[in-house]
Amino acid sequence: MNSSEKTDTLALTYGALLARLWLGVRALQTGIEKYGGNKISEKVVDIDGAPNEYGLTSEGADKVYSMANYHGVPEALFTKFQGEPLMTEWSLKIYDKVLGPALIILGITILLGIASRTSMFVLGLLYISLTWGLILLGTPGQSGVAWLGTHMLIIIAALALSRHNRLCILKKW
Amino acid sequence: MSQESSNLTRRNFITRAAGAGMVLGAPGLLKAADPSSADTLHVALVGFGKQGEVLFNCLRNIPGLHFQAVCDISNWNRKKGMNQVRALQGSVPKGYVDIDEMLATEKGLDAVVIATPDFWHSPHTVKCLEAGLNVYCEKMMSNTIEGARAMVHAMEKSGKLCQIGHQRRSNPRYRYTLDQLINGHKICGQITNINAQWNRSLGASQDIGGKKLAKGIIVPDDVLGKYGFKDMHQFMNWRTYRSLSGGPISDLGAHQIDIFGWFLNDAKPKAVYATGGNSYFKDREHFDNVMCIFDFDTPEGEVRAFYQVLTTTSAGGGFWESFMGTEATIKISEIAANSAIYREDGAPPWDDLVNKGYLKRKPAPPKPAPSADAVASYASAAPEEFELPGGFSKPAHQPHLENFFNSVRGDATLNCDARHAFESEAPIYWVNPSALEKRRIDFTAEHLSV
Repeated sequence: MNSSEKTDTLALTYGALLARLWLGVRALQTGIEKYGGNKISEKVVDIDGAPNEYGLTSEGADKVYSMANYHGVPEALFTKFQGEPLMTEWSLKIYDKVLGPALIILGITILLGIASRTSMFVLGLLYISLTWGLILLGTPGQSGVAWLGTHMLIIIAALALSRHNRLCILKKW
Repeated sequence: MSQESSNLTRRNFITRAAGAGMVLGAPGLLKAADPSSADTLHVALVGFGKQGEVLFNCLRNIPGLHFQAVCDISNWNRKKGMNQVRALQGSVPKGYVDIDEMLATEKGLDAVVIATPDFWHSPHTVKCLEAGLNVYCEKMMSNTIEGARAMVHAMEKSGKLCQIGHQRRSNPRYRYTLDQLINGHKICGQITNINAQWNRSLGASQDIGGKKLAKGIIVPDDVLGKYGFKDMHQFMNWRTYRSLSGGPISDLGAHQIDIFGWFLNDAKPKAVYATGGNSYFKDREHFDNVMCIFDFDTPEGEVRAFYQVLTTTSAGGGFWESFMGTEATIKISEIAANSAIYREDGAPPWDDLVNKGYLKRKPAPPKPAPSADAVASYASAAPEEFELPGGFSKPAHQPHLENFFNSVRGDATLNCDARHAFESEAPIYWVNPSALEKRRIDFTAEHLSV
């Protein structure tokens, strides 16, 4: 093995790690965000350096995470999908419940290198399902389809580089 | 049967509701005042139609109130009120058709909240004050000026409190605007004109109830007759009848015309001239559109105040009041989004007020493109736009009700007692006569005094 081949291997390992990190972080945080929401808070407005005596308040929104905030499929999209003849109500409800936890689990397995290839393959399937949903929405979903297409390219690149994948807890699968 | 007493005590209710229904009642139970506590105020709700429900939705947020009785001649309204009280406090209030029976039967009441049709305000308020109760009564005080006078006399004779529902008087945004901006920092300079409107769309101004009413809503003819209504149409649309109300100028206008004198530091108008007519609702007794001008003399100079109430269009942004001064105009409304403050070009700068938080500057609109329009050369420079530093998130009527109950407890003074409300409302009673007679009315003490 000459020195130029060693440099290539290191670069390919970096490439594999970066692709894995990107996909892992993307999936994990997207899943967590599905539990995010705003808590509206009100505070008395200060006037001339002191709280005003009239009770004038201003509203602020603090972001909080909770199980109660969970929406797998965003509410606005959920309503639109309900009107799609190819989307059954029961499958939509299951998908809504599963999507967030699935993204979190896949994000963790990809980041920690637990069955990386299978995890990325499943993530790819998930992105295909999202792509199908966005295709149903027609024109408004087109940019989303394009974005998911770039995700798929990164998954394919990561799978192609899987021989150079390092720092894994479970290399098998 | 005029009284619907119930043996369902709070304890019984909790026991019975321990099953499925308890879940729904639980949040209300947590909020309910302890009826036996010395700090609890015992309240009767008189009139539980649309406005009564609006008030109850504010009252439910005020701690320390126990709702003891609901009185309404309509079974539908009364049961609705009793159910809402039960959901809130876990005990069923007594229900009454007749207020006299309620006053004779109920012991330990501290206050009543009256939201009956205008022509009943005065008789109901006077009865309650004479019975030794504190009264919160919806505006307009009465459909007649004599009725309003009787309320002031009854309040002063009884020594009890009587607050009239001009809720803007307790609105933090209005109070701040008057105290800090108009009087404190005098940002308007000299107020020379006032302009206000309540423009309501045709759709929102239609008669209530269709040709065929649901059976449960219908009040029997003998009950309607006993309480002054010819039929169900009158009962549901009393606002359109001359013998039952003052029409749109009092129903909608009174809220805003009340602000004119208040923001002019209790100035009284010296004249009114009005015009009105039935532009669309030809069969209504009251005018559907009214415009009027009040002339005021203030220590700072003359003020002309224009007001219009239109029930055939919502154009012009709905409802608001605009106080136009030599240095600024304050456009204020119960809806914060309809409010704005404009600094005249050439007025003293407000940078210090903005820095201290008295006002917030709104982003400047984009400059219009240069125009060859000849008229443009005569136009004044566009005033800078500002806004209040904050708002409030409670229902609109809640601060006024809080002020009333705080006053009953001795912790505050009324923001709009019957005497002050009368002084504010008296000129409004002369708008319809001015429009009907097509003449200016110059006010004398006889017109405006109690």
